[in-house]
Amino acid sequence: MITRRKFLATSALASGALAMPGLSGQVLAQDKAITLAVPVPISGAFAANGKYAVIGAQLAADEIAAAKGIKINTLDLDTEGKPATAVRKVQDAAEQDGARLFAGGILSSVSLAMGKEAERAGGVFMTTAGADEITGKDCNSATFRWSVPTYGAINETVRPLIDMLPDAKKWYTITPQYVFGEGLLSAAKDVFKEKGIDHVGNSYHSLSEREFSGYLTNAMAAQPDVLLLLNFGSQSSATLRQAISFGMKQRMTIVIAWASGLEQFEELGADTCEGVYFGAQYWHEADAPANKALVKAVQEKYGYNPNYSLAGSYIISKLLLEAAVEAGSTDGPAVAKALAGKKYDGLTGPEEVRAADHQVLKDYYLLKGKSKADMKDKDDYAEIIHSGQSFLDPQAAGCTMPS
Amino acid sequence: MHILDTAKVQICLALATVLLLPFVLNSGILATEILIYAMVVAACNLLLGYTGLLSFGQGIFFGLGTYVAGVLTTRWAVPIPLVLLVAVVLGGLVATAVGWFSIRRQGVYFVMLTLAFAQMFYFLAYTFSDITGGDNGLLGVPRPQIMGHVLDGPWGYYSFVAIFFLVIFAVLLVVTRSTFGRTLLAIRENEGRAAAIGFPVRLFKIEAFAISGAITALGGALHALLIGIAPLESINYHTSEMILVMTIIGGSTSLFGSVMGAGFYLLLSDTLSVIWPRWLLLLGLVLVTVALFFQRGLWGLVERGWDAFAERRKGPQKEAGDV
Repeated sequence: MITRRKFLATSALASGALAMPGLSGQVLAQDKAITLAVPVPISGAFAANGKYAVIGAQLAADEIAAAKGIKINTLDLDTEGKPATAVRKVQDAAEQDGARLFAGGILSSVSLAMGKEAERAGGVFMTTAGADEITGKDCNSATFRWSVPTYGAINETVRPLIDMLPDAKKWYTITPQYVFGEGLLSAAKDVFKEKGIDHVGNSYHSLSEREFSGYLTNAMAAQPDVLLLLNFGSQSSATLRQAISFGMKQRMTIVIAWASGLEQFEELGADTCEGVYFGAQYWHEADAPANKALVKAVQEKYGYNPNYSLAGSYIISKLLLEAAVEAGSTDGPAVAKALAGKKYDGLTGPEEVRAADHQVLKDYYLLKGKSKADMKDKDDYAEIIHSGQSFLDPQAAGCTMPS
Repeated sequence: MHILDTAKVQICLALATVLLLPFVLNSGILATEILIYAMVVAACNLLLGYTGLLSFGQGIFFGLGTYVAGVLTTRWAVPIPLVLLVAVVLGGLVATAVGWFSIRRQGVYFVMLTLAFAQMFYFLAYTFSDITGGDNGLLGVPRPQIMGHVLDGPWGYYSFVAIFFLVIFAVLLVVTRSTFGRTLLAIRENEGRAAAIGFPVRLFKIEAFAISGAITALGGALHALLIGIAPLESINYHTSEMILVMTIIGGSTSLFGSVMGAGFYLLLSDTLSVIWPRWLLLLGLVLVTVALFFQRGLWGLVERGWDAFAERRKGPQKEAGDV
């Protein structure tokens, strides 16, 4: 690898000279500060998620620094929610700041790209992004993922609901037409087939869609018992709002399989959420000791409850830092080795980092929106009505981990 | 012609940029990205500044270049020189096709046609995910090798891109100063008169489109090799928008203005994005200021500064002569 200094020296001798191989990365000594890079969208459309992710990472860094008596620097990298920018920032952080630990991502396409780059830079990357490929066909030795993939999200929402609502035999789906949506739809179809559910129709929409009345009209015409929304973020919020304005909540059960939790409930409000089912990666009311500790810490420091962006960033940062301390190095392969197979008390209860594909095995929640009158506090939007773990085995997920 | 617009000065400025960037920037990746976008913006300038065509289609060719690099290197391990050649040829051919359709109309209809093509190609890339990777893009695009050494360090790859940048910049200088380039200027100034004299105006415009598309696709391919991925965003309409904004900020009357526009935009976004999440607002203000007060962009400011400097030097000399 050519360093800047080397380039300058070379170009002074012969301007425009081509590359020469050189020395590769550096290993941080134990007595020096550990750098944790946090590549998240600090600006752009997903800046709100990035803001909480930065807080979560800092919280984890402070906690590990105090517990282990070491110095930890966090390095916030603004990905702007764009893969190209994200990769450039990761390359720069690795090259200039010697960063090897990367905790962030949020968006699937950005995370897939950063995972590859972290591997190339000799680092280790942990994310909360949703794309199956992260621990599926595009898995790699440097990439770890905390969130449950599409298979688990469907199996822990659709399957228990079918059991809870035995009379609901007709389901209609609305799906964003890209890899993530197809993953959710395919998993849902498998469950429908197994349970003898009549899948009365599906509407595809594009990633840039904002107006869903046409799809909802088709859904109403099919007269389903359940409307299953497989889109996420602002699109699922817009679909839900429009469905409610069409009076669909009174006529059928509505499920959002992949909700973003507290952030989304705050945006929608209790009246919209009431009676609607939501699948969620994290819920601050989950009965797990580590979660209770996090909620207490965030309440004490910031005066609010942790949402998914904050909690996800906190746990992946904590896992990376603990693994680095355990390995005695921030070198990617050493940290990855310490992380693989690790069992710990996580935010959803006992969690495990599966060694074969670097997927964390954790609970996924099925929540039901409460009425305003039933809310104990301003964030008590929903109750947990089911939680559990469903994961494809690494071979079925398509992961062949490079040796 | 302004003294700073002469070919010698322009190429010297380009060479100075290549040699100075490593001294002023810590990030080799950012420096390389500036050179790549400088190339792409200069190609856009050929359309906007020299031919008077405001095209929203540049993102198509940039995205095409990234996908050529992504598909050929990750699926078939095609050698990088051949990949870059294919990107140039395909970029030129697709630009010819887009130009052939779009140039049939003028003014706002031309702009709308290029915008429509940009959206169409974006959705093609989004739909044919088996080829393009869809929303996830293509991962694992390798860096080139020189004499068996992989250019995996940022400054090594910077040198590689710098050679392309200088060659393309020189080619564009030759093109804009040739009879062909002067005819483009004539078309920009008065299309009707150029046609009346007997110039095949449409053919000239299509040729300008093809050259611009070929260079933009080369930039896209070099960018994919830089970041190791071919993302969907590269073919998005916003890429076209970004290239146009860089061109306008830099100034569309000089090729080196394009280099300044690319550098200004990338450095501004890199610095401001971590300070203020709404940094794009500031960029909007910059654009408004340029549109209202500095229509010749940053390059216009440089020219004004030079003129003022020359005037001040001339003043005392004159006075001394009078005495």
